Amino acid sequence: MLQFDTTEIEKTPRADLLTRHTKKVLKGNSAAAIAAKLSRVSLVTAYPITPQTSIIEEIADMISKGEFDAEIVNMESEHSVFAALIGASLTGERVFTATSGQGLFYAHEVLHAIAHMRLPVVACNVGRPSFPWNIWADQTDSISQRDTGWVQFYCESSQEVLDTVIQSYRLAEKHKLPVMVVLDAFYMSHTSENVYIPDQKMVDEFCPPREKTDDQINLKHPKAFGGLVGPDIYDKYNRLHWESICKVEKETNQLGHEFDEAFGRKYAAVEAVNINEKTKKILVTMSSITTTARQVVSRHPEVGLLKIRLFRPFPKESVLKVLDTVSDDCLIINIDRNFPGETEGAMMQEMKRALHGVPNKIFGVFAGLGGRDVSSKTIENILEVDFRAPGAEQVIWVT
Amino acid sequence: MVDISKLIEVRGHARGGQGMVTAFEILAKIFSYRYNYEVQAFPFFGVERTGAPIQAYLRISPETILTRNYIYEPHLIIIFDEGLIEQTPVFDGLTKEGTLLINSNKPPEYFKGKAKHIYTIPATDISVENKLGSKTLPIVNAAMVGAMLKILGADIGEAMEIIKDEVPAKPDANAASAETAFRQVKEFTDEHYQPAQNGQSPPAGKEPNWEVPFWDQPMSINKTGNWRVVAPKYEDLEAPCTDNCPAGTNVRKFVKLASEGMFKEAYETIYEHNPFPAICGRVCPHFCQQNCNRIFLDDKVNIGAIERFIGDKNGQYQHKPEPVQYKEKIAVVGSGPAGLTAALRLRKLGYEVTVYEALPKAGGMMRSGIPAFRLPPYVLDKEIEKIQHQGVEVITEKRVTIDELDGKYSAIITAVGSHIGSNLRIGSNEQVIDGIEFLRKLNISGNQEQIKAGDSVAVIGGGNTAIDVARTVLRLGGKPTIYYRRTRQEMPAIAEEVEEAMKEGVPIQFLTAPVGLEEKNGRYELIIQKMELGEPDESGRRRPVPVEGSEYSVMTDKLIKAIGQWPDPFVFSGNEIEARQGRLDEKLAGSKTPVFCAGDMAWGGTVVEAIGSGNDVAGEVDAFLREKEWEKPEKAKEIATHDKINYRYYLPTPGNPTPVTTPENFVNNFAEVAGGLPEDVIIEEAGRCLHCGECFSCGNCLNYCPDAAIFIDDDYRLRIDYDYCKGCGICVRECPCAAIQYDEKNRLSEEKEPKELHQK
Repeated sequence: MLQFDTTEIEKTPRADLLTRHTKKVLKGNSAAAIAAKLSRVSLVTAYPITPQTSIIEEIADMISKGEFDAEIVNMESEHSVFAALIGASLTGERVFTATSGQGLFYAHEVLHAIAHMRLPVVACNVGRPSFPWNIWADQTDSISQRDTGWVQFYCESSQEVLDTVIQSYRLAEKHKLPVMVVLDAFYMSHTSENVYIPDQKMVDEFCPPREKTDDQINLKHPKAFGGLVGPDIYDKYNRLHWESICKVEKETNQLGHEFDEAFGRKYAAVEAVNINEKTKKILVTMSSITTTARQVVSRHPEVGLLKIRLFRPFPKESVLKVLDTVSDDCLIINIDRNFPGETEGAMMQEMKRALHGVPNKIFGVFAGLGGRDVSSKTIENILEVDFRAPGAEQVIWVT
Repeated sequence: MVDISKLIEVRGHARGGQGMVTAFEILAKIFSYRYNYEVQAFPFFGVERTGAPIQAYLRISPETILTRNYIYEPHLIIIFDEGLIEQTPVFDGLTKEGTLLINSNKPPEYFKGKAKHIYTIPATDISVENKLGSKTLPIVNAAMVGAMLKILGADIGEAMEIIKDEVPAKPDANAASAETAFRQVKEFTDEHYQPAQNGQSPPAGKEPNWEVPFWDQPMSINKTGNWRVVAPKYEDLEAPCTDNCPAGTNVRKFVKLASEGMFKEAYETIYEHNPFPAICGRVCPHFCQQNCNRIFLDDKVNIGAIERFIGDKNGQYQHKPEPVQYKEKIAVVGSGPAGLTAALRLRKLGYEVTVYEALPKAGGMMRSGIPAFRLPPYVLDKEIEKIQHQGVEVITEKRVTIDELDGKYSAIITAVGSHIGSNLRIGSNEQVIDGIEFLRKLNISGNQEQIKAGDSVAVIGGGNTAIDVARTVLRLGGKPTIYYRRTRQEMPAIAEEVEEAMKEGVPIQFLTAPVGLEEKNGRYELIIQKMELGEPDESGRRRPVPVEGSEYSVMTDKLIKAIGQWPDPFVFSGNEIEARQGRLDEKLAGSKTPVFCAGDMAWGGTVVEAIGSGNDVAGEVDAFLREKEWEKPEKAKEIATHDKINYRYYLPTPGNPTPVTTPENFVNNFAEVAGGLPEDVIIEEAGRCLHCGECFSCGNCLNYCPDAAIFIDDDYRLRIDYDYCKGCGICVRECPCAAIQYDEKNRLSEEKEPKELHQK
């Protein structure tokens, strides 16, 4: 079931579920740490990097106080952080880590290994760019890992981070895929806001312990993991991986629906705001920019908003369904907070791919890179751009 | 009070370490938990640390907050540190109806024109009273929370538990601080407020012409100098060598010049304070050298040898006589180091100066008291000739009193030294030879009849005179023995001279004193009593105490006393005047000409002290004649003592001691004992100087500065770029020679506890 409401998602839990939540003012990083605890993660590997560090710090704090029953292992690098997760996950444990920017780049090789060994690892990435050196909000780090075989969610609020981590373990363990939950540096990682923390029992019911399966390490039945795979069967590994990937979009929507029933908060692969046959322009956004865009869109009846929550695999079906109702002259404007070294931002590339054959014109805007603030004024400025003007660029930069 | 029935946007300005981010989080929690508001609290997170200007934001709203960007047009601006007003555009974008809260002791009216609603709160005082942080960086967040709650119309009682729970430390002190602030916040509303027409922010700078790569621009744009709470600066400290020179010589400077082979400039440096470098190079105890910081590394710099070399090397230096410019004439009585130094100073200032000397040759004690094997007469002659060449008139064999000179001069300086030997308690003047007189006769007339070859001679005393007498006796063929009532440690004689005397074979009987004398067959039986050291006396040295029944007798041919010297009262026409440095008028009622006093008769007993005394008296006389105030030049307050030196940055290097010859046959051998060092060795020795307290451009600061805020200027000097210096102090710590200091004026407070500074 897909969520195409034209109204914004209700954030407050339904009244009947409210008593089973505790309201806290939390930073996005705290929400991630608490989500790992609620998901009953048993092993966390850790290496500090701004702006992620407080996630693993808070986990370490909870473990030391006996509030979180897990092992935390300080590693010597992010490469090792992810490598250790391979071994731990192979034993059947539920594992977690968090990283950012250069840490994620450094782990790149191991990210492939985790995905192709089909390990249900969940990791948070607090997005920051590569170079010049910068610690502020930017999605270039996780975008550059989009071909590693990981599922990627991009969150908009601390609440969404908490809820998405919980859903991710369900998704990951069902389809044997690793999931990366991405939050924006500082706009989310260090912003304190209201978060409703579900009680442990609700989470346990939604996300039961990881099942023991034959492909895990079993001391009674020794196996070799990660050996050389010859040309005769290599492609079979990829094909099976592909088959699972193909199910992720639908699964995401299904999980979002189930989560709503259990917790009172709806999630889906995408979210549409004010998109109908009268819509003249649609802003396509991810993460924290979405919140500000909601405010701008509320002032412009002719402008719609498409939030991409599941970025990898790209939710093609969901996007097409949203755009099914719009007129052919409605413009699709993608806001990219990433620079993938291409003529177009990652979102624009994906949207062009998804909308192949659709008559609507597609434009791209680079905005908010390296933490440049994307204010409501910035978004208003984007809406003022006349993309139809003769000679107008398809891709622009705004500041 | 700020209307909170709709979204309120707050922007805060503070310094890293003041706790603003925590304050905003606490407020968010209060509004969320107590008032069921939607909230957002977040910092503009930079790479900054303690002291850096930072910003944070707070949104509170009864409805869902649909924005995640920074706050540009706040309803409320909070300033945690008043000093930021000058540094950052803190008032930017405040709405017309906006509100301002400033941590300040000033009344809110002081900030009139900045906002419609203005509040002030003395949060720093409140926090310091509650012992939160230090004066340099008080942690003011709890007080600011209290003040903000008041402005936002919230209840402080409701907030108390949350404040106590959320502060990282000292919950009660923080709660008390918030409560005090809640009640003390002062309000001012300006009904006629109009926002400034052009906005408060300075006009935006021209967009740089970006070119790739453009690394200099992103890096230089962040002027981190405004993070600084303490500033380092290059400031020389006095070196212990210079500080300890009684003549005031800039020792560090002449040693440095010598290390660069600039011996003429080095000579001129010494000559500014001391007209006797060749003499002092030989006979000065070198307090500079005794206090050299290099002693704590390996061995002192041999400054004496360097000074001697500079003096000798410039033997032919031509000083230019200065013209006489004043009508006042000055008389100096005594041509010793004090008298001649004072005479030269005054002559160079433009006075006509006449020096009266009782002996046939000028030089005072340098002439009469120091034997030729320590100070060859030609060295003395040369340096005195230079003084005469510069216009100082010296009249010898003229023993004068101040009465004779009275009225003929505008000022009289008495500097007759201490040439009368103190008497022993035993023996008559016929039986006991006076040591200082003995040396004088030999030095002036070149012969003496008192000591015959083979005589055994008992020398009583432990000062330089005793040592010089004993070594002279040795050279006359006698057999000297020194009797001294304390130990070697207490001996006032220059340590090196004692060493040389012992090396030459002069026996010294320590802890002995003569108590009886009897003539026997043309010889003397000397009764010696043994001593032991008791409690320290006024001089700080331990007092010798006789050991009962320890007397023994020795036979000796001659007995020479050298136990102390005092001035000849003849200059005061026989009147017992207590001589002391400076003007003596009040003691000399009736004299028309003002009388001044200097040298050994006033204080000190070494050549270099006499030179310092001469410098001082010359300054005082000139000031008197020119009707100016005179004060003795002040000593530097802070000295680069050894505890300030980073010895790890210096390589241990062996020193070059002064060569000393011990002749095989002493009889009639008055050749100089100590030798000089060659030029290359002198340069090497001067190169061992640690440059205590003075930058020698080693570049350590440049290497260590983590912010690349140290640069080399056009004159090749190291300089600090205060636009970028964060005041971390690493340069101060890593300077080898203590040439970088904290600038006390830019220091906000002396109280600075690193632990508190790093509290979140």
